[in-house]
Amino acid sequence: MAQVLILPKLGQTMEEGAIVKWHKKEGDPVKKGDIVFEIETDKAALEVESFFEGTLLKILLNEGITVPVNTPVGYVGQPGEKLPDAPPTVAPVAKPEVPKAAAASTPARDVQRPAVEMPAVGRTPKPAAVELPKAGPSRLFISPRARALVKKCVIDATGIRGSGPDGRIIEKDVQNYLDSHGYSQLRISPAAKKLAAKEGIDILKVKATGDGGRIMVHDVERAVAEKPKAMSKMRQVIARRLTESFSSIPHFYVSVSVDMTDLMLFRQDLKNSGKKFTVTDFILEAVTLSLVEFPVVNSYTDGTSVSLRSSVQLGMAVSVTDGLVVPVIRNAEILSMQELHDISQVLAGKAREGKLLPDDMTGSTFTVSNMGMLDVDNFNAIINPGEAAILAVASTKPTPAVHAGQIKIRQIMKITLSVDHRIVDGAVGAAFANSVKKKLEDIELWKSLT
Amino acid sequence: MEKFDVTVIGGGPGGYPAAIRAAQLGASVALIEKEELGGTCLNWGCIPTKTLIASSELFHRMKHADTLGLSAGKPDFDYAAMSKRKDAVVNKLKAGIGMLMKGNGVKVFNGIGSFVGRNRISVAGKDGREIAVIETSATIIATGSESAMPGFIPKGDCIVESRGFLGLTKLPSSLIVLGGGVIGCEFACMTAQLGSKVTVVEMLEDILITLDADIRRELRTNMEKNLGIRVLTGKPLEKIAAGKGKVSGMFGDEKIEADMMIVAIGRRPVTKGLALEKVGITTNKAGFIPVDEFCRTSVATIYAIGDVNGGIQLAHAATSQGITAAENICSKQRKKAERLVPSCIFTSPEIGSVGLTEQAAREKSLNVKIGKFPFAALGKAMASAEDRGFVKWVVDASTDQLLGAHAVGAHATELISEAATAVRAELTAGEIGRTVHCHPTFSEIWMEAAHAVHGECIHAAPKRK
Repeated sequence: MAQVLILPKLGQTMEEGAIVKWHKKEGDPVKKGDIVFEIETDKAALEVESFFEGTLLKILLNEGITVPVNTPVGYVGQPGEKLPDAPPTVAPVAKPEVPKAAAASTPARDVQRPAVEMPAVGRTPKPAAVELPKAGPSRLFISPRARALVKKCVIDATGIRGSGPDGRIIEKDVQNYLDSHGYSQLRISPAAKKLAAKEGIDILKVKATGDGGRIMVHDVERAVAEKPKAMSKMRQVIARRLTESFSSIPHFYVSVSVDMTDLMLFRQDLKNSGKKFTVTDFILEAVTLSLVEFPVVNSYTDGTSVSLRSSVQLGMAVSVTDGLVVPVIRNAEILSMQELHDISQVLAGKAREGKLLPDDMTGSTFTVSNMGMLDVDNFNAIINPGEAAILAVASTKPTPAVHAGQIKIRQIMKITLSVDHRIVDGAVGAAFANSVKKKLEDIELWKSLT
Repeated sequence: MEKFDVTVIGGGPGGYPAAIRAAQLGASVALIEKEELGGTCLNWGCIPTKTLIASSELFHRMKHADTLGLSAGKPDFDYAAMSKRKDAVVNKLKAGIGMLMKGNGVKVFNGIGSFVGRNRISVAGKDGREIAVIETSATIIATGSESAMPGFIPKGDCIVESRGFLGLTKLPSSLIVLGGGVIGCEFACMTAQLGSKVTVVEMLEDILITLDADIRRELRTNMEKNLGIRVLTGKPLEKIAAGKGKVSGMFGDEKIEADMMIVAIGRRPVTKGLALEKVGITTNKAGFIPVDEFCRTSVATIYAIGDVNGGIQLAHAATSQGITAAENICSKQRKKAERLVPSCIFTSPEIGSVGLTEQAAREKSLNVKIGKFPFAALGKAMASAEDRGFVKWVVDASTDQLLGAHAVGAHATELISEAATAVRAELTAGEIGRTVHCHPTFSEIWMEAAHAVHGECIHAAPKRK
């Protein structure tokens, strides 16, 4: 009996996902532990291993389609084994994908959602039916002759105004459109025209660079490259969350300069004695200690109520290929420096390898964004939705500074706190920023902590 | 001090057309040439070799004239006379370039040009004394290349490079050709046709390695079977020793011996004497002058074209770049150098090639279709008793675009121009297939091969499925 592969639920908050890549083809042998496919959720991309042994008999879910968790995606069994006519209904939340052979009249598409629509944190979930996509762009009313001409000329008909009944585009409209857009003057190489037709490029919109203004293959390829494409789910999530935060939270910013000279020397001493800590470790610890002192900075408001968090769930922004993830250090206030170091190393490593699970990235109460390694003087970060503030850490640079009444070259690091002004006022923000600064400059404190 | 709008250093196939084009566009032009107008191409390269090959090719055909129903007694040749004809052809062409320079008002300086500053060039005569100082708004470096003669090759009368070989008045009875590139293979075929015993040694796994693999196979078979050339590949020739009238080397365990060796293992850019450091131009690791797609060096008013810029080492590429550079200097509209450059090889049989090879297209992960047609199935080729070889189109399967064309066989170097036009114009295989070609001609083969792309050949049996 063939076994059903499902889209696994990989975290408490995961509701849906898409297969971005099948690692096996239909007919490929599958061993237990083999990676069969790769999925992308709104948080991360993950590889999924098989629990079964046999042959991948059938792929039910093609790449790039977002479906709810537990949806059947394929069958593993023995070659030649008969598959069930209808796929099992493992997922009670939605109809599963139907195999293509039986799909002629089945509305298999109704489990798809447009990739743009994410389950938004802190938003009222809409009923699924409302989110269903319309069948492509709105239907074009165009006569068959007009459509044939549009196709022959490799142009886009959506800009043509129809003069037929109910605004239907007729052949004459297309002809007028071609004339008014100088189509007869257009020169295009035969291969370029074929490529444009294949890629759905409107040749009236292609910039020509060939001899005498002739459109060449290269020009069409450029137009193809410039055509809007769906962003990765990760980027879409980043876009949505940051827009939401930046447009709904009134940000204000407090910057202070931290003199890191002594701490850098102290860190070197520690290193020489075999204890390795990163600069980030010290910053995370200083932030944790300050958050305990200033619970309001560790809180959250929706504009009408405030929740003061009793523990520090410290998010650390990690840049990854084509994006940014924020793994969370749980209950940072009860961790020792060493534990903090170990956990942050593990999380950062998982982030870079794309191995973070969705649960690793939810529930943070404050975030630190460290661009220290990127040679920047200062920057402002955008508050992670669900938090009251974020700390932006810039590079430590040798800078002329007043030290013990004299101008000296000191290792100065600028940090900038972005704060939700609805709940934190200037004085508290300033006090918090200075608290982090004082801690980082207090070597006695670090001697007792390391 | 004399003032010019444009100064061209080097009067080869890149330099002199650049000078003419600049003059046509109204510039005052100086041309500095250290040896002979026409450069390597005209004096020691393309033209003299093709003159000799014309003789050797005809001689080879005469020997097989009986197959055409002819008899001309026992054919023979006089290499000294062949060489004399070669010199006459070269001198006539060279004189022609001199006339063109005069006619276009280009002032020719005989000497070595070296930069004093970005806009000042000193010209030194043969004795090293300065004979002129030129002030120029723009400069085109067209100094070309010379045969590479690495240190491991001993010096001796019986070891020559291409230029030295062309000075011979008597052919060696046996010859080692070191290097199976274009120059090596052309010399190998020519001398073998004239009866010398020829061995080609190429370090890489095949001769003419950048060519399409099918074409290479056809040529190699012909060289080995019909011309009796020994082709050794995949190992270097080691322990090269030059004795009196003998040269030898070790190919693996085997000792290779001959009366003479021609070294054709690549060409080095000529930049010595230019004093590039005075203008802040640095050459790359291999010694070439880097340029952008407009042929400009890192100095905005100095251009470099042809072999010296490390692009395609072909005379016609240099000519095209020279004209482009002159136009970019003299007009406001900048043009990119042509990237599609056909190549021709005067081996026996000839080879013509343009655009992507099948292998290169596949490496680019393009989905390609191939259309091949043999000369043996072409009426004119059979009538002419020149039915060896084939042509091949490389076509993009999704758009039918012609990406490359390769020909091996009689007249392949002429035939390739139609294909070059088609590839540059981004035509499709369908269009070449519908273009009416004269019958009976060799050119028809492109149409037949275009039909073959779609499996619609008229003159070949359909492939069994």
